[in-house]
This record gives sequence, C-alpha cells and structure tokens, in this order.
Amino acid sequence: MLRTPQQTLRPTIRNDSIFWCCRRTLQWFVPPLTAFISFVSLNCLQPAQDYSFSPRTEIFTDVTEQAGITWRHFSGESQDRFLIETMGGGVAFLDFDGDGLQDLFFVNGGETPHGKSTMPIHNGLYRNLGDGRFQDVAAKAGVDRLPFYGMGVAAGDFDNDGFPDLYVTGFPRSALFHNNGNGTFTDVTDRAGVKNAGRWAASAAWFDFDRDGYLDLIVTNYAQFSFDDVKKCELDGKPAYCAQKAYEGIPLTLYHNNGDGTFTDVSERSGLAKLVGRALGIVAVDVNDDGWTDLFVARDASPNLLLINQKNGTFRDVAVDSEVAYNSDGVARAGMGIDAGDFNGDGKPDFVVTNFNDEYHSLFVNSPSGLFDDRSVSSRLAEFSRPLVGWGIHFIDYDNDGNLDLMIANGHINRAIEVTRLDVKYKQPPLLLRNDGNGRFRNMQEFAGASFGAGQSARGLALGDFNNDGGLDAVFTRLDEKPVLLRNNEGQNHSWVGLELRGTKSNRDGIGSKITIDVAKRKLIRWITGGASYLSSHDKRVIVGLGDVPGSTAIAGEIRWPNGTVQHLSNLKRNQYHKIVEPGD
Amino acid sequence: MDLTGFAEQSSEVNSRFRSLSVVGTKTMTRVARPNLCRALVIAFRWCSWTLLLFSCAAFCTYRVSFGTTQGDSAERRAAKALKLAEAGNLQAAEDELRRAVALEPDNGEVLQEIGTVLAMEKKLEESTSFFERALRVDPGALVARRYLAANLWQLHRYAEARENLLTLLKAKPADPQALLLLGMVSENTGDYATAVRTLASVPTLVRVQSESIAALARSYYHTGEADKARRWLNELASRPGETQAVLLGAQIADEMQDYQTAETLLVSLQSNSSEQMTLKYRLALVKFHQKQFGESETLVLQLLDAGHQSGEIYRLLGWCRQEQHHHQEAVHAFQEAINLEPTDEASYLDLGKVLLAERRLVPALELSKRTANAFPDSSRALILKGSVELAAILFTDAVNSFTRALQLDPASPDAAIGLARAQFGSGMIQQAKATLERAIATFPKKARFQLELAQLLLKEAETGDEGAGTRAEQLLKSAIALDDSLAEAYYHLGELALGRNQVQRALIPLERAAKLDPANAKIHFALSRAFRRLGRNEDAAKEAALYDELKEKERPGASDPSADAPSNN
Repeated sequence: MLRTPQQTLRPTIRNDSIFWCCRRTLQWFVPPLTAFISFVSLNCLQPAQDYSFSPRTEIFTDVTEQAGITWRHFSGESQDRFLIETMGGGVAFLDFDGDGLQDLFFVNGGETPHGKSTMPIHNGLYRNLGDGRFQDVAAKAGVDRLPFYGMGVAAGDFDNDGFPDLYVTGFPRSALFHNNGNGTFTDVTDRAGVKNAGRWAASAAWFDFDRDGYLDLIVTNYAQFSFDDVKKCELDGKPAYCAQKAYEGIPLTLYHNNGDGTFTDVSERSGLAKLVGRALGIVAVDVNDDGWTDLFVARDASPNLLLINQKNGTFRDVAVDSEVAYNSDGVARAGMGIDAGDFNGDGKPDFVVTNFNDEYHSLFVNSPSGLFDDRSVSSRLAEFSRPLVGWGIHFIDYDNDGNLDLMIANGHINRAIEVTRLDVKYKQPPLLLRNDGNGRFRNMQEFAGASFGAGQSARGLALGDFNNDGGLDAVFTRLDEKPVLLRNNEGQNHSWVGLELRGTKSNRDGIGSKITIDVAKRKLIRWITGGASYLSSHDKRVIVGLGDVPGSTAIAGEIRWPNGTVQHLSNLKRNQYHKIVEPGD
Repeated sequence: MDLTGFAEQSSEVNSRFRSLSVVGTKTMTRVARPNLCRALVIAFRWCSWTLLLFSCAAFCTYRVSFGTTQGDSAERRAAKALKLAEAGNLQAAEDELRRAVALEPDNGEVLQEIGTVLAMEKKLEESTSFFERALRVDPGALVARRYLAANLWQLHRYAEARENLLTLLKAKPADPQALLLLGMVSENTGDYATAVRTLASVPTLVRVQSESIAALARSYYHTGEADKARRWLNELASRPGETQAVLLGAQIADEMQDYQTAETLLVSLQSNSSEQMTLKYRLALVKFHQKQFGESETLVLQLLDAGHQSGEIYRLLGWCRQEQHHHQEAVHAFQEAINLEPTDEASYLDLGKVLLAERRLVPALELSKRTANAFPDSSRALILKGSVELAAILFTDAVNSFTRALQLDPASPDAAIGLARAQFGSGMIQQAKATLERAIATFPKKARFQLELAQLLLKEAETGDEGAGTRAEQLLKSAIALDDSLAEAYYHLGELALGRNQVQRALIPLERAAKLDPANAKIHFALSRAFRRLGRNEDAAKEAALYDELKEKERPGASDPSADAPSNN
C-alpha cells in the first residue's frame, strides 16, 4: 500500500490529542487532494496489512498505571470462608460530571468478622482528566464509603436531570446516590425507598418497564446470608468455600420509579417475588421486539429467568419454554454474568451467560420460533471456556468490523482447586473471543495483550470508550487487587459510528432503545441495555462498527425509543459520535 | 472299571501253554525204536527237537509273559486304582493311575480313569487335560466327553462345556446326563430357553439334585413361565428335611422377585432353632426386597433380641433404616456391624456407600481411608475410596485409588470406569480415553464400558472435537446392541438427535429411555423439550411436571453445612 505524506503524521505513541491532530490534518488535505481521499482514509484509519489474524500491536493495552488508578479491592477474606468474600466487586463507566469523558466508579467489598483491613476501605470514583489519566475524587464526591459490604453498581439517570446517579448493591442493604450535578453525590436511599434491606444484592439494572419515561430499578438478590452463620466446608482437608447450594436463594426486587424521587417496591405486584433463586446477573432488553423491555436473569445453581414484560406491570417467566433455564440435562448451571447482543446479525438479541468450570459459558441464539438455540458448542465458546469460572461478560465489537465479539472476566473461588484438578487454575485468564461472522469465535489470546495471557481473579467487567476514539475500552476488577484498565488499540482501524442518545419523553439515558444502522447492505442492530455483565455498568453510548466500508458509503439508521417513537437517521458521519435527541411531539 | 478284557487275555495265554505241552507229548510217543546207533541218533534227534521245541516254547512263553506283563501292568494298575478309589483312597488311586499312564500314555481308558479320579479329588484343571488327551486318542469316547464337559462346567468354562455337550448329543441325542449338564450350562450362561428345554426333558434327573431344580426354576422364571417355576420350587418344599434345598428355592424366588413364593417357601419350613435364625433372616431379606422396610426391620430386631448377632444382620438393619431415611440410626447399625466383625470388609463398604449417598463426604472419606488401610489388597475397598474422592472432587487422589484397584482386580468394571472418570475429572483426558479403550478391548461384550467412553467423548465433542461426537454415537448404538436396557445410552442418542433438531427422531430413544428409567429427571426434561418443539404442549407440560417432581426429590436437605458439601468445583 502506498505511503502518503499524511502517513508521517501517524503518531508513534497512541495519544488522544495526537490522534485528533492526525484527523484534523486529514480533513485539511481533503479538498485539494480529493483523488487521494481513499488512500488517506485507509492509511489513517486502517492497518497496513490484513488485520484479521495478525494485528500490528496488542489489541488491548493495560494502561492502569498510566491512568493513575491505585484503588484496590478488599474482599475481607477470612478463615470463616463466607462466600461473599469471593464475589465482589463491581465497576461502572459513567460520565458523572458531564464533561464528555467517561469516568470510572469502583465498588469495594468490606470487612468480615475475621477479615479486617489495616486501612480504611473505600470505593473509587476516578474522574477522567482527558489525557489518559484519572483522578480519584470519591471522597470529594461523597461516594467513597459504604456502611455495608459492597457488591455491584448500576449507573443511571433516574430523575432525568442529565447526570447519572449510582445505585450500589451489597449486604445487608444497598444505597442510591443522587448525582447533584456539581461533582458530588447525595445518599438518597431512605428517601427513595430503595434500601433493599436485609438482602444480599448482586447486580442491578436500570430500565423503564412501564414506559413512563422514568428509569425503574431491578435488583438481583443472591441468597440468605448472615455473618453469624458460619458454614463449614472443606476441600482436600482444608477449609473451603461452601457450594452455593448451601445458601438458600431469595427473590428479585423490583422498584417502580414514581417520578418524584421516590420508588415503590412492586416485586409482589409484578410477580417477581415468587421467583426464588440465587440471582447474580441481569440484562434488560426487548427480547421479543414488541417495544417493551424484558429481563434475562442469570442465576447460580437456580434456573435462569427470561422475564417477558406483559405490558401491564407484570412479567412472565418463559425461560424453560425458551430453553435457556437449564442445560440440556435439565441442570441449572452456575450463571453469574449475562449480556445481550445480536451475535449472528439477524436483528434479534442473543444472550451469553458465564458459568462455572466444566459447565462452559453459554451462548443462546434467538430463533424465529421463540426458542433459543444453545450454540455454546458450535460457536466454540464451550471449547474456550470449559476450565474457566466466568463472571463479567460483555459483547464488544473491539475491532469495529460489525460483528459482536466477546470479552469475559474469569477466576476461580477456591485456591485449593489446583490440588485436586490439573486443568483448572485458581487465577484464570480473561477471554477475548473474535466473532468470525459465521457463527464461530476465535480465541484472540495471542494478540489480545499481556493481561489476557495471565491468570487473574477477575470479577466485574465494564465497557466504555474512555478516550473517545471509537474503540471500546474495558475495565475489570480483581479480588484484593487493583483493577485493570484496558485501552483498545484496534477499534479505530475500521469505520465506526457512535451514538449518544438523550431521551425527552423516554428516559433520558435512552435505556431500552433499539438502534438500527444501515450501511452497505448491512443492517446492524444494537440496543441500549440496562444492566449487563456482572455487578457492573457501562458507557451508555453505542458504538456501531461498520467494518470495511468505502468512505463514500452512506450511513443511515433508525432509533426506536423506549416509549415507541421511531426516529430516522441519515447522513451519519463515520468515526464520530452523534448526539441524538428524541424528537418531541 | 472293566476288567473282563484282562481276564480274557489270561485264558488265552493259558490255552497257549496247554497246546505247547500237547505238542511235546505227541512228539515223544512217535520216536520210541530198538537199535543203539539208531537209538542214539533218534535220541539225539529227539533231544534236538525237544530242545528246539523247548526253546521255541520258552521263547514264546517269554514273549507272551513279557508282553502280558506290560499289558497286565497298566491294566493291573488301573484295576488296583479302581479298588483304591472304591475304598476312598483317591491319592493312592491317582498314583497308580499315573504309573499306568506312564506305561501306556496313549491308553484312552487309563487316561479317562485318571481323569475321573482327579476330578473326584477336585483337581479339575489336570483332570480336564487328561480327558482331553483321552478324547484325542478316541474322539468318540462319550463318557470321557461327558466328564470333560462336567469339569469345564465346574471351571466356569461354559462355552467349551457347551461345545463338548453338543458334540456328545449329536452322537447320542438322548443322553440324559448330557442333557442335564447342558441345561445347567445354559442356565449359567443365560440361555434360559435352552436350559428349560433340556432340563425339562430329563425331569427324573433334575429331581435328583436341588441345584438342578433351582436351575430349572430360575430358567422358567426367565422365560416367563412363573407357574412352572413355582411348581418346581414347591417340589423342593415338599422334601422332608431338606432345609437347604428350600432355602435355595426361596432364594431363587426372591431373586426373581416372586416374593410371595419366597415367603411361602420360607414359612413352610419347620426347623430347629439354629435354622430359625437363617429362616428369619432370609424372610427379612425378602421383605426388604419387597420394600417392606419396616417389616424387615422388625424381623431383624427380633433376631437381635433373640441374641443372634452378626455383621450380616446388622447390615440388613442398617439398610432397612437407610431406606426409611433414618440415616443416623442406619449409620449406627453399620458401625455395630463393624464393631462386631471388624475383619468383615462388607460392613465398611456398606457404611461407605450410605455416607456417600448422603453426601457426608468428610466421614465417608475418613471411613474409606480406614477401610483401604485395613484391607490394602481389596479392590472393593479402593473402589470405595476412589468413589468418595470422586464425589469430593479430589480427582488426583481418586486416580491413585482407582489405579491401585484396577491393579488388584483388572476385571473390575467399577475400577476401570472409576479410573476413567477420575482421570477425566483431573484433566487427564487422553489417559481416560485410553483406560476405557483398553477396557473395551479386554471386555468387548461389556456394554458399560462402551457407554462410559461414549459419555466421555460427548464431553469432548463439546469442546469442538467433531470426530468424538461421531464415535460417541457409534458406541452408544453398540452398547445398546449389547444391552438393550441401557436407559442412559438411549437418552444420549435422543439428545444427539435433539441437538441436530431431528426432533421426531429424538422421540424414539427418549421414550425408550423413559420407559427403562422412569425416575430419571433429565430424561423427562429432554422429552419436554422435544414435545415443545413439536408443538405438543400438553405432553411437554406433563413431562416438565414430572421433571420438577423428580428434581424436588433429588434436592438435598436445605443448607446443611454439617453435610460438608465441598465447594462446587
């Protein structure tokens, strides 16, 4: 491929400001050099060689240290072996200060009766400074301390004031922090009525189940638990964490947003209170394309739930009928994390769920009949995940080729596992699986970056474009360690279009929206989901990878807003974000 | 033993002697004349002739004597051996016959005789080799063949026994003893139709021994002629003083789940106090098999109250209690059995099984280690240990235990399968496959191994090995061909078809699996999936309800930390 003068402007260190310089220069040269436009765009935006199987550089780079993230998780690990010690912590990408840059919020665990910390335990709120660095402002923001053992976080603008709020789950309660819009938060849990008292909560999701324009809140609750109830289990003669079945499951909690800063517990009324089990992961998405947001709940040794919104405030579980509740032997697997996305490009949401070792992670593909096909084996997901215990999971089109890939955080819960098994490790590598567009994944470990070749005790996983370059970045938490912030080096190498939705009649975050992008005879469907992954919350913007399309190709699309409004989009510009506001009446 | 031949030979020798004497006398009369020279010549001639004749006679006598001595020797020894055998001195009889064989190694009769004596001494292997030699000398020796078949039967070499009996019956179709023996062999090999046909054709002979009555009765049960079976068993009951025979009959009926007959037989026995214990125990066993656990327990307690204490009785008590879900009391009973008879492995094994079934893995592990230490050369003890280690996810330890168990008993299917599972569990996939492949090669007719390997390969297929899936399917079909009762094999075939969305095709094996194992939850789950896909929602709902019901029964007691369930890994 010819090198052009513009090539010399290519940065040797990928840095946000330099990249913007390159792009601006590109635009400057376009008018007089129209004949070279295609070469220029190719050179600036695409790799010099066929990317498919040999990226020039590692796909993700660990930039945690560069970013200045020093926060550390504390699990309270103790001789008592409380299962909760193995299961935290959550992380969120959110732009809490409205400066256009994604910030990070980390939920810490806590102390246990015999698991004490020498230093104060605090959450982390890292403000994105825009130059690849972050600064912890949790204390200043008023979200650094929790009066309970922390688990997960769901970021969402529940009062539609333009600033995302934080719902932090944990045991034996949860908390709602209202974003005051000035860099600070206020604990409004009691006033809002969302304490979820007495419960061990895991993931939570914001979604508008009744389409009234306000985000409601669904909380997954795990199990009956008490620090006074020490369960004794052993593995190979040593104290070990008891199996999850030693803990009795409990129902979900559904809070209806009253629109005035308060919520009503509608768990009973909605029919969710009778669904007892050990719930861990949740994603809110319109499964049957009827315009109403449904829920898929991943549960641990309890059957998964596929809750179809009945449009009247109630939900009906169709997981068994849809063949997503159990494995093929009728056994409920250890479902932890969950995500929804159009894996096979047919316009319907498919689901991925993380499970325990030997169970392999699941890929359920939505079929026209209403049943889901278990494609875990045929997609090779089973092959790659069999010895792994998975937690956070998210669809991610990391290379923007238009096919949804997968990133998964893994790690076992018992150190002694390595004594009894040769093939299962305590610390396990994360997975980056590339979707080949033909229904199969490829393990990109060789190219993904050092973090993917090393064993981790990873738990929460969140995605967000922290440097606004169109390449979706990622962060995962680790038990009793610092998290890992991964910068995406590949996403910019294909065209993409970014959308930031702002609801007016619908909830401001646009959660529940269905986005369709038409480009070069491809129809790419994405959703703004509530929840997803494990204990974590994500950048609400949508990046749609366009693949290898010529620069002249028109990009159009459509948004179906949660309240049913359909908005058409045209002349979308590639490689940039578009702020889309829901049209008024 | 037939000695007439020998007698005949003796008289022939005597007659030869007599004819020679007559020739000598006649020669003497013809040569008497007066002339000295002539007399001398005649005398000389006479002497010469006499000498010549005498020499001939002496020579002939010598020849006959020598030859007769040899023939006499083997036969004589055989005759002597017969007398010794009749007197009960089998070892001496054997020695004589060995000498006889040394003298005439190809004498079929002698070979047969020694084979018989050795069989009487229970030296069956050697006896068999002599009968085989006798038959090589004379393949038509029916007696030898019959005795050979009897030996082979006792040596459990049923196929060879059968072959010999069929050869015999070809030559002599109505040989009653051969028919009887063929019936016994057929019963042993599960060819009940032949057993019935042959045994029923020799009822008089069958009646002679209670074992043959038992064999015929069992065969009738298997061919669905329970009434005839009962008639024969009742013959046992009608024999005065034959308690053991009745017990055997009751055992057969119990085995064949004809509990009423078993009870009737046992109750019919009038016996002394020592047999009362046996009777009551057997009755308790029959009650247990009928799932009348409470009644069985009552009988066992009566035995214990009467002072009859044994490991066997305590074990039955333990099982009665276990089946009634009185787990702690069951454990106590097994422990009593162990205390009473600490060298009886069976009590340890039963207790281990119960602890394992209850998922009391810590005490199960402790017990299994103790058992393995107490019985280091017992494959069953090591199998128990390996099984507990498997359940406790201690795969590497389980590999060691099952490896040793297999060394001790290479023919144990439980050891081979346990080893393969442990190897697979610990990540030694290739080794697991090799273990099962070896087992299949060694025991090609054992369906369990084929099923186990198929299941392992199905797991492999999940990780992308398509060839594994194809082979698994072949193995499943092969396992079913060997054993049509394998619900698990049918289930997996159904699952494979479901996985390919061949739903109608999946129904056949799944329904068969459900018939074979109606209490297996996952089969009903699979059926509900299949019916749902076919739009048969009512059937789907029924199967789903069954699945839920069965799953609920499987559910262990709510969080029981003292159950020491290890972490789910």
